[in-house]
Amino acid sequence: MLRYVAKRLLLLVPVLIGLSFLVFIFVRSLPGGPAIALLGERATEESVQAIERQLGLDQPLPVQYLRYARNLAGGNLGSSVLTRQPVSTELRQKFPATMELAIAAMLFAIGAGVPLGFVAAKRYQGVLDNASLVASLIGISFPVFFLALIMKYVFAVRLGWLPSIGRLDVTRSLAHPTGFYLLDAVLARDWDAFVDVLAHLLMPAIALGTIPLAIIARITRAATLDVLSEDYVRTARAKGLSGGVVNRRHVLRNALLPVVTVIGLQTGLLLTGAVLTETVFAWPGVGTWMLNAIRNRDYAVLQGGIVFFAFIVVLVNLVVDLSYALLNPRIRYR
Amino acid sequence: MSVAQAEAKELEVEQPSGLWSDAWRRLRRNPAAWAGAGLLAVFIVVAIAAPLIAPYGPQERVGDLASVPPGPSREYLFGLDEQGRDLLSRIIYGARLSLIVGVVSVGIGLSLGLVLGALAGYLGGRVDSIIMRLMDIMLSIPGFLLAIGLVTLLGRGLFQIMFAIGITTVPVFARLLRGSILAQREADYVLAARSVGTPGHRLLLVHILPNALAPVIVQATLAMATAIIDVAGLSFVGLGPNDPGLPEWGAILAQNAARLQNAAHMVFFAGFAIVFSVLAFNLLGDALRESIDPKMRT
Repeated sequence: MLRYVAKRLLLLVPVLIGLSFLVFIFVRSLPGGPAIALLGERATEESVQAIERQLGLDQPLPVQYLRYARNLAGGNLGSSVLTRQPVSTELRQKFPATMELAIAAMLFAIGAGVPLGFVAAKRYQGVLDNASLVASLIGISFPVFFLALIMKYVFAVRLGWLPSIGRLDVTRSLAHPTGFYLLDAVLARDWDAFVDVLAHLLMPAIALGTIPLAIIARITRAATLDVLSEDYVRTARAKGLSGGVVNRRHVLRNALLPVVTVIGLQTGLLLTGAVLTETVFAWPGVGTWMLNAIRNRDYAVLQGGIVFFAFIVVLVNLVVDLSYALLNPRIRYR
Repeated sequence: MSVAQAEAKELEVEQPSGLWSDAWRRLRRNPAAWAGAGLLAVFIVVAIAAPLIAPYGPQERVGDLASVPPGPSREYLFGLDEQGRDLLSRIIYGARLSLIVGVVSVGIGLSLGLVLGALAGYLGGRVDSIIMRLMDIMLSIPGFLLAIGLVTLLGRGLFQIMFAIGITTVPVFARLLRGSILAQREADYVLAARSVGTPGHRLLLVHILPNALAPVIVQATLAMATAIIDVAGLSFVGLGPNDPGLPEWGAILAQNAARLQNAAHMVFFAGFAIVFSVLAFNLLGDALRESIDPKMRT
């Protein structure tokens, strides 16, 4: 197991180096280059040269790349043109919001998707099974921003039940040491704020979680059907175990293995979806931050955001691969 | 008549049923396939025959400029937009754009992915590792973000957007074809073909590729769905085709997202146009997958 972990970590190195190289090329090829991006299109020749010298852009490319890679390895992602703040600092401020949203969405997707898929499989080809199949196909056909807009229209604009934008009512003040507002509200023992944060979180989380929900339900169903026809399930029933025990210990436990993989694969989708969902609900997270960067041609921020998201995807997939070993001792890693 | 002769006769009677004819039979029995094909047919007909179906041109002003665009009426089924253009006509013309984007971007991704996947799978060794590591890196960047990055880099022309979306699908196709080829390469029929002296390129093109393509076709159908969603998403974040007059569904949606109170009808009609066209590809792709690989039929 330990050797497997070491091997997987080692395999990450070429991927991360390649990634940094791609992003390096990407930023160097942006129209006008970083100097113009910093100074704007009407910059004078001298100021461009000054900036290029200051940023080390007059050096040969391999030297530039090495410097860039060293910065990246140290967590230095450059500075935002707009706010002059280090990208990593801003990222640290924005990330909890996105993380909170993504976790809430995933909890919703897993919490609803796994039972739904399981029940559908138990009622194989019944009404509920067929209905859930059709619903999940329709579910994955909705662009996340459209779903978000429909929910916003119905529950915020028409019915007025839920707040439509932001993470917290503007009139409310809440210290946020962690940046995870639910946690912050608990820490401050401010239960009104907790409810308010929850109300703000509800719609974006459901909108973001719906597509993963559909996918998770489908995979759970397929995996459960596979396991239900296994001999050990029949054996467990034959030796007189109760239905609940068989379902929990024999069926669900084995059916969850592919589900974990899919949850890992959803991370990329979830982060992308978060960018779009955040836009609809003016959620002050990494997504809105990156979109502002696109509008303001703040390439350092855009680059930092993409590298960061890619890093998370790589990391989550690593964790998923490793968690196989824990969930399924039959898998032996060499 | 000897026993051997009798057996030979029996064997003759049995028709060999190939992968494709089996798949076709299963496909025809699947209601989801019919629903998907039907929706897709409507989508394609609307796209091709847009000028014949649409009551007005996509840019034609039939009403007045209005800050609160009028909703659906008997005269204008989907209502008008704030510039007094007929929304139904714009959405009908938008089908063309979505279809073109889907076909071209998946075409780009598919051809690049196929070449890379075939090279990796067939040549193996160092070529394989280099190509596949590159694909791993691309896969680690969430597809839509990669598209955002590429469009920022290349500009917001329609072709650049299609190219960017196409690129995001390359690693999936490459991996899929490589895996398929690796599996087929060891098959008995390939060994048989090799043993009668079939040259390498012929082995790849005539024997391996057709059999390795089935999962790729399924993926291509599903990728069309993603491409349509992605182009709408790019428009939504302000990176759509830079001609604001284009009746792109995502752009119509984005332009009105901020004024749901007044322009909800525009958001809904454009949104459901996206949903139905995406659903068509998803239904069909799903049914295709089931018909090609009966094991997936769970």
